[in-house]
Parts: sequence; structure tokens; C-alpha cells
Amino acid sequence: MALRWQALAGYRLPKRGMHVTMKDKAAIVGIGQTERYRRGASLPKSMMDMAIEATLLALKDAALTVEDLDGFAFYGGAPADPGAMAYLMGVPHVKFAATLTAGGSGAAGSVGMAAAVINAGLANVCVSLFVLQQVPTGRFGGSSEGPRQIPAARGGGAYGGGGNVSPEAAFTAPAGVISPGHNFSMLAQRHMYQYGTKREHFAEVCISQRNNAMKRPQSMRQTPLTLEDYFAARMISDPLCLFDYTMECDGAIAVITTSTERARDLPHTPVLISGSGIGGTGDNAHLLGNFQMPDISFASAGARDVAKQMYAMAEVGPQDVDVALLYDHFSPMVLMQLEDFQFCPIGESGPFVAEGNIRFGTGSIPVNTHGGNLSDFYCPGMTHLVEGVEQLRGTAINQVEGAEIALCTGGPSSIPMTGTILKKDR
Amino acid sequence: MTTPAIAFKHMPPPLFTDPYADAWTAPFWEATKREQLTAPRCKNCGAFRLPPSRWCAHCRTQEIEYVDLPGTGTLYSFIVVRHPLSPDAADYVPYIPAVVDADGAPGARFLSNMVDIEPEDVQIGMPLRVVWNHVSATLTLPFWTRA
Repeated sequence: MALRWQALAGYRLPKRGMHVTMKDKAAIVGIGQTERYRRGASLPKSMMDMAIEATLLALKDAALTVEDLDGFAFYGGAPADPGAMAYLMGVPHVKFAATLTAGGSGAAGSVGMAAAVINAGLANVCVSLFVLQQVPTGRFGGSSEGPRQIPAARGGGAYGGGGNVSPEAAFTAPAGVISPGHNFSMLAQRHMYQYGTKREHFAEVCISQRNNAMKRPQSMRQTPLTLEDYFAARMISDPLCLFDYTMECDGAIAVITTSTERARDLPHTPVLISGSGIGGTGDNAHLLGNFQMPDISFASAGARDVAKQMYAMAEVGPQDVDVALLYDHFSPMVLMQLEDFQFCPIGESGPFVAEGNIRFGTGSIPVNTHGGNLSDFYCPGMTHLVEGVEQLRGTAINQVEGAEIALCTGGPSSIPMTGTILKKDR
Repeated sequence: MTTPAIAFKHMPPPLFTDPYADAWTAPFWEATKREQLTAPRCKNCGAFRLPPSRWCAHCRTQEIEYVDLPGTGTLYSFIVVRHPLSPDAADYVPYIPAVVDADGAPGARFLSNMVDIEPEDVQIGMPLRVVWNHVSATLTLPFWTRA
């Protein structure tokens, strides 16, 4: 009977006419991380080596086994193939495998997808993970084209439709906007113009997060960052300087999600997935790309819809969030997420951070208490989930006192943008 | 291939020598050879769209017509690329990718470049005019500068 109960855990038949929700029905129960490497330093390990290592560590943390694992809920391709992982790890039964489309934007939503899958009865124990190995031949978030490479390398041409360059791309690609940093600088510049946001406000994000990282021995950035340092740094794509950009790293991080009922029999305090939003609006779908977004949402993280959906599902609001773990590939996008996720009115994120609101220990909403992509470690969004789990388990180094609700987000980019509300189990 | 001449101050690295056009986009590139800026407009509802995508997001029809524009506009946003992402780009930094609201094509923006202007003089909202970079027999690119 125990076995039968476990198999049915977390699955309920929806009743006719009742509001069906996955709120609080699944929980993160395990986290696993490989060693943290500087960019390119994980060789000769393979990406698959690290993906499996992180998964095994996360299962161990959850007191579960490979035999329990039956779902793969990824984002951005992970990039690891669930089939290959299942083969190499000897997973006896795979009941679900999928990845959210786009890239780091799906980080927070991957556990939302896991919760949906578990709540629907498709799978019982899901892993979500990301692995990075930033070697020149395959850099996540790298530049799209090297100058002069396209015609020579790809052929095609005059009015026949060309090589791998789509006719549409010829309208945007020649401008030389060839890396994510270029794209987000364009949004940042507009934000500065529309709302009076200043580089000092970007700097506050960087400095606040560096201060958080410096208290954590495992964080990659340990040297102090001052306003003078910030303004002395070289500009990469003006208005963004070196410190506004995330670092790059190698390594893998995995989290394990299962039903809340099963989670309550496992060693750690369950971290409930209380609400999740996975999507965006069609008119904002080209946040990375051709800059046709409407004026009202051009200088945004493209997450306003997602925020509403997520908060409604979790039945909480921004005032209930104890710690915000906002994906920070570029510092201005933290500001725009503070607006989209309703911590301050649209356009007021600059003054909001200048008043000290995002600082750990003293601010009204501590942001990226682990240091984020900018100063802790870059594993597109996974560290934000891990920090959310540690905050709600009460084991974070920069522990927010009495933290019960954490917000995790994915990186503003193409649809789907994602956000997830995590909640400490009762 | 030969190194293209730097025809304009702060022009971007030369990434393309051909527009890779198809029937959908060829009218735009043909007009650029005459130094005429155009934009595609939905034949059904009149909404402009850039790039010339295959469907109108407003009325879900496909047909477009290219409309001549005056070649003036307003700067919507810009960046100054100062760090070259490859050694090839080193000769071209700083360059100034720009998003431009072109007069006569409301609701559609060009992603292009500001040239013949110093980065510190570029300001959102400034009036612009188009200038033409004849790259090859098949590719003429619109750039923008202060009106």
C-alpha cells in the first residue's frame, strides 16, 4: 500500500467546475553542484560528466536515487540530452523529458514545468539543471557572428536566399548588434532616456551583489567593488561597462523536484513551488533581436504578464516576497525586473535602488543575496534557484531572517520569460 | 575577400556583402540601389512591419507592399560598441548601432547605425537622415546621421 500511495502522491483528479491549480503541490527537495570553474577550466571533464555529477549530488541531497528519477524538466536545452543522461546513469523509467524554449530565460520556469508535470501525474521526480563549459567553439551567450565570416563561410547570395542567413536577418544583422550585451545595452539606454536612470543605479546593483558575494567563500568574485572601480572600468557596449556584464564560468547545477506529499518524507524542509509564470506577450517576443517592442514595454524585462500570472497562482504579491533572486546577466535588467515584478513602479527602479532597497540586511527587498551571475557564479539562473532553496531551508550564508517566500526569475530574453515563487513549507 | 573601405566615420564592421534577398525582401534592396528608403506595409490593414516578416501580426494576412519613405527619422535608442568582439572588429570600434523611428512608417523601426557623428554627440530623440553605404553590387546599406 505504501508503494501505491507513493505512486499517486501529488496527483489529484480535477473535479468538475473546481479551480485547478498546481500551487504548493510540488517542492524542490534536492540541490547539487559540481566544483566551480573559471571559464574553460573544466576540461578535460565533459559537459555530460558535469551534468550527471550535479544530478547525482542533487539526488543524494534529496535522499533519492537514480531509480526514483523519472523526469527531465530542462530549459534552454540544459544543454544536455535527457536520453543520453538516462542511458549513462541507468534511469530505469523515463516518464517525461522536455526543455523550455529560448535560453536562460527559462531557469526559474524549469521547476514550474516540473511542478506542472508532477501535478499532472506524468512523472514523480524531476531533475532541472544547467551545465556550462565556455570553450571558444561553444559559448553560451557568445557573440553571434564574427565580422567578415558570414559571406565567406556560408556562401549563398544574390537574390537566391542565402546560406544560413535568412532574408529577414539581413535587415538587422549588418548593424553589428551581435551579442546579448549589445541587445540589452539598447534597452538600458532607452530606460535611461525615458526614466532618468543613471549609471550610478547600474553600479548599485553590481556593488550590492559584490558585497553579498564577498561574504560567501564559494563565490567567484571576492575583491571589493567601489563606485570608483565601477567608473574606472572600460566600457564594453556603452552604456554598459565591464562590471555590468555577467562573468562566465564552467560547471553544472541541478535541482530535484517531487510532489509535496513525498517531499514531506524527505530530510530537508520542502521548498514549495507556489506559483510559476512561463511566457510573455507576442509584441515583446523580440526582446533579443529586432527592437520592435511597443514604446510602453521597450525598456522592460518583458516579464509583466509572467509576474501577474505567477503572483496570482501563488496568491501572493510583491509585498510578501522576502528575498528576490533576479536573473542578472546584465545589471540594468535587474532594475527592469524590479519594475516588472512590481517591487517599484515602472520607471522608478533607479531611485529605488539608490535608496538602498536591494541591500542585504538593510533593504526592503534583498536582491541576489548570493551575489548573482555578476559576482557569485554564472550557471544561467541555477544559482538563483539554489539560493532560493537555501534561504527557505534557513541555510543561506546571507540568510534573510525568517524568509518564507522567495522569488526566482529567468533571464530576460526571448519568450518564454519565467518567474517562480518558492515558499517554505509549513 | 578584399577589405572594404571605411566609407563613413564609425561605420560598423562589414559583416555582409549581400542582402540574401528573396522575393519578399528584394524590393527593399532594389530601392536602396537608387538610394530610396522603403518599408513594407500590410496590403490588407496598412500596418508597417520591419523586418518584412511573413505575416501581419495585426490582421494575420501575408501580402505586403513597399512604400517610399522620405529618408528622415528620429533616434529611438543606440549603443556605442567600444569593445571589439573579434580582432577583425578592432579597426571599427567605436561603432554606434541605432534603433530608428523612420518618418512615414509608424510602428516599424530600423535597426541600423549612426555614422559621421561622434558618440558623445548622439542623443535619443535627435532628428536623423539616411545616408547610403554602397557595399557591393547587390548590397547598399542604409546608415543614419544627424539631419
